[in-house]
Amino acid sequence: MFKKKRALQSKSEIVLRNMVVTFLVAYMAIFMVIPIVIAFAGSFHNWNPLNGTYKWIGLDNYIRMFQYPTFWVSMGNTVIFCIVVVAFRVVLGLGLAYAISSRMVKSKTFFRTIFYMPTVTPLVAVAYVWKIMYNPQFGLIDNLFGLNINWLYSSKFALPAVMAMTIWKDFGYAVILFMSGLLSIPGDYYEASGIDGANAWQTFRYITLPLLRPTMILVVITSLISYLQAYVPVMVMTKGGPGTSTFLSSYLVYDQAFVKYNFGYASAIAFFILIFTAVLTLLSFKLIGEKS
Amino acid sequence: MKKHILKYSLHIVLALVGIITILPFAWMILSSFKSNEEISALHQTLLPKTFTLENYVSLQSNFDFLRYFANSVLIAVIVTVLVVYISCLCGFVLSKYKFRGRNLIFGFVMMTMMVPWSVTIISRYTMFMKAGLQNTYLSLILPVMVSGFGIFMMKQDISALPDELLEAARIDGANEFRIFHQIVLPMSKNSISAIAIFQFLWVWEDYLWPYLMIDSDKKQLLAVGLTMFNGRYATDYGGLFAATAISIVPVIVVYTIFQKRFVAGVAAGSVKG
Amino acid sequence: MWRKVLGICLAMSMMLLLSACGSEETATYKGEIDTNPDKGLEVMGEHVTYDPNHLVNDGKPVELEWWLWDAPDLFGSIAEEYEKIHPNVTIHIVNNPWDGFWTKLPLALQKGKKGPTLFNVHNSYQHLLLTYMAPYDIDVKDLEQDFFTAKSHEIDGKIYYIDFGIMTGAIYYNKDMWAAAGLTEEDIPKTWEDFREVAKKLTIQENGKLIQAGFNYNGEFENLMQSISYQYGSTLFDESGTKPTITQEGQIKAVQMMLDFYDKDQVGDKDFGTDSAQSFGQGQSAMVYKWGHFYGYMNTNYPSIPYGTFEVPVVDEDPFAYDRYNGESTPGINKNASPEQLEAAQDFIRFYLANAEKQKSLCMNYSLFPANNALREDEDLLKNPAIQAVSEHISDYIWPGPMPATLGDNLKIAGQDIMYNGKSIEKTLKTAEDIIKVDLSNMDFVSSESLYHKYSQHK
Repeated sequence: MFKKKRALQSKSEIVLRNMVVTFLVAYMAIFMVIPIVIAFAGSFHNWNPLNGTYKWIGLDNYIRMFQYPTFWVSMGNTVIFCIVVVAFRVVLGLGLAYAISSRMVKSKTFFRTIFYMPTVTPLVAVAYVWKIMYNPQFGLIDNLFGLNINWLYSSKFALPAVMAMTIWKDFGYAVILFMSGLLSIPGDYYEASGIDGANAWQTFRYITLPLLRPTMILVVITSLISYLQAYVPVMVMTKGGPGTSTFLSSYLVYDQAFVKYNFGYASAIAFFILIFTAVLTLLSFKLIGEKS
Repeated sequence: MKKHILKYSLHIVLALVGIITILPFAWMILSSFKSNEEISALHQTLLPKTFTLENYVSLQSNFDFLRYFANSVLIAVIVTVLVVYISCLCGFVLSKYKFRGRNLIFGFVMMTMMVPWSVTIISRYTMFMKAGLQNTYLSLILPVMVSGFGIFMMKQDISALPDELLEAARIDGANEFRIFHQIVLPMSKNSISAIAIFQFLWVWEDYLWPYLMIDSDKKQLLAVGLTMFNGRYATDYGGLFAATAISIVPVIVVYTIFQKRFVAGVAAGSVKG
Repeated sequence: MWRKVLGICLAMSMMLLLSACGSEETATYKGEIDTNPDKGLEVMGEHVTYDPNHLVNDGKPVELEWWLWDAPDLFGSIAEEYEKIHPNVTIHIVNNPWDGFWTKLPLALQKGKKGPTLFNVHNSYQHLLLTYMAPYDIDVKDLEQDFFTAKSHEIDGKIYYIDFGIMTGAIYYNKDMWAAAGLTEEDIPKTWEDFREVAKKLTIQENGKLIQAGFNYNGEFENLMQSISYQYGSTLFDESGTKPTITQEGQIKAVQMMLDFYDKDQVGDKDFGTDSAQSFGQGQSAMVYKWGHFYGYMNTNYPSIPYGTFEVPVVDEDPFAYDRYNGESTPGINKNASPEQLEAAQDFIRFYLANAEKQKSLCMNYSLFPANNALREDEDLLKNPAIQAVSEHISDYIWPGPMPATLGDNLKIAGQDIMYNGKSIEKTLKTAEDIIKVDLSNMDFVSSESLYHKYSQHK
């Protein structure tokens, strides 16, 4: 922080700085602030831009939101979904990255590429494939394990089934990030711990893990944000069913906005999610930040 | 001895996860050579019983698949190049220059990452329509050319560049633009690769926005084309799988080109928090 | 390496950009001019007539877009036939996927003459589209004389779109299984009581495990439930036509009857063939309840399964109605289009409605009972099993009106809650009713149930 400050700023620095700042501010204003303000205003209206309805109804959308049972179901599901999927992503990602990075494993590129394959496949297609795999009569999963579970139509298994698909699709992303994190830990840290006679677990727990904190923050925060907005898996695989047992809050927004065209109502829910996201993000920042 | 057991068990675990990862994938690609009747047949086999190229052939005849494909590549490349460049530039200014409001701007950029798409998409649509931008490629590029994630990654990476390096160049009389292009950019190759892969992927997958903006068949993108297989009454699984199999090829190509730098780049961008 | 890659990417994108621009220019269309009003063609149609022997837009070139979500070739052939008569009119067919169509279309209609002039309509989205639609420039009486469902589409004395055909439900049965169970044509059931016995005969269990379902309604809960409750005489809406009434005796009895098929008679299972269409195609279910589009589905996906159809069984000999029907609609016209486009579009619609041959091919494609009275006795159409099954009592099918999707969606959710989540029938239907009520209060929907000829007999 307290490095030498240059006394004079060159002309080109000022030009570049002003250029970038102006661009960023203007861009954010046009593409973020204005749409958000419009949507915020819309949340107090009976708003359907498709047939031109725009009628002030005050807090009705928010009241309706809190009274709508599906809203609470979807919020509960979203919390479970986020916690479980993020946890799996972190544990799987870290474990596999640690394994691949181990000196004992050759063909690192091979495993890395394989694990990243699902991540680069379009989600819509992946969801369809898994939907067929979950079929109780001819699906791969029941056949393979000799089960007879109607995964996507069971109030017990439908949400876990959607979560399993999401974990499969995305764990590669975390593997890559954690591998990068491990790569950037200087070798001397390990040498030092080797001299101190620490065992593998201790080395991991007291050296690797704390040094991976920035990566951990990145993985947790970006995953959290993207999962709070997830709706495609539900849209393709269950449409929120059976009943409303796999409704996620972002799917509810999608359903209200682009299936039922209640844009005002959908905006109200979206704003609730925005606040919820902000709170969760700050909370996880605090949690991971305080560990070290 | 203990080491050997560990080594083998490690490989076995990795191989198992690898198989689980590959299986649905392999099944999809093999199924793309099956007829729709066989895909949902009661007695499933991994290999197609009757091998057919029909799904691939009908891709081009059902809709102009190659055209969509080319459009998607074009847009993805343009957006990726733009995002990389803008992220680098913003990352450079936000990390190496000290000025009032810097943290405010950076914080704001971070916040934009949290805004759900659903909040902004409709109002954005209205704005673009009023500006007469519908059915142009510009409308697909403009709203995604600044990426909070990209700026974040680049800021982290560039802030790790030693100030002395830039200072030395300044003393040699280089102006800031030259410093950026000749020192900062080349030194950030790794992070650039990482952002390039992430960004390419996001553009490649994005569906709702291009669908809303693009009207003409000639300009449509592949991700929208994929939804054509999901008809009102039934889904053409064979066609969908064939199209998906082809559509992941460019992503894998991009990934393989950049992957050496990818891991190192993510490291540079994410670790120095 | 790095520079090379970037170079290649840039070169590639430039090339593509250029090729994109290049083809854009060649696509610019210069229309023909038509000078000959006398086409030497006959006048078409019964009451809604079309006389081709005139100039459209004084023979000057005019371009229209026509938006569809399905069958571009079929609809395109109507446009082509019209373009042949009036070479100065060009109709561009734009096919969009069904997913998202209803978001995109209304937004595009706001663009006026740059947007679509003609667009296919689905009546469940009438509430989104009506503000953009121009009424047909055709005498309403003529329309009502030619098309038996036209009256139900009258809004303040005007007509904005009508049905070219109507679709409804029927029972589809696997002929091989039917024969294997020792059943003949004679055994085709008329009532649900008989149906239940037939279903039992068609069910095969091995060691307590179902291997062939006699009857499978999975995925069709909301449709079958509406059918049976109409048979009991319980309508979906109250007399004002605006409030949903789905917790009446008829609906509860309907749901109970459906649950009994699985629980009491064990002719099927909620977890056996969760997609009944697929299950029928795979030869696992002997009978399914499906709407007319199932004919096309079987043709494309499972052409080798031999099957027949029969009319949906009834609760007693004189049901209030056999089933609900829904129409497939003729195109709407964008009122924001330019006057030239409007003139051509109105002329085209008249051509479309007077052209029974084209309507016939559409009805064949979707297995629709034709709305055009001229096609009622058409032999080719009656050979289609989906149409044949419903043709006898077609006037005893009821249309609840341009019902927004919320009703079907929430009944579907209710069905899954009852079947899979084990919730009680009354409570679940009540929840659905409340949600539908709120959703409808934001729209100007009024049910058409009161137009049904036996409406006075409802409960």
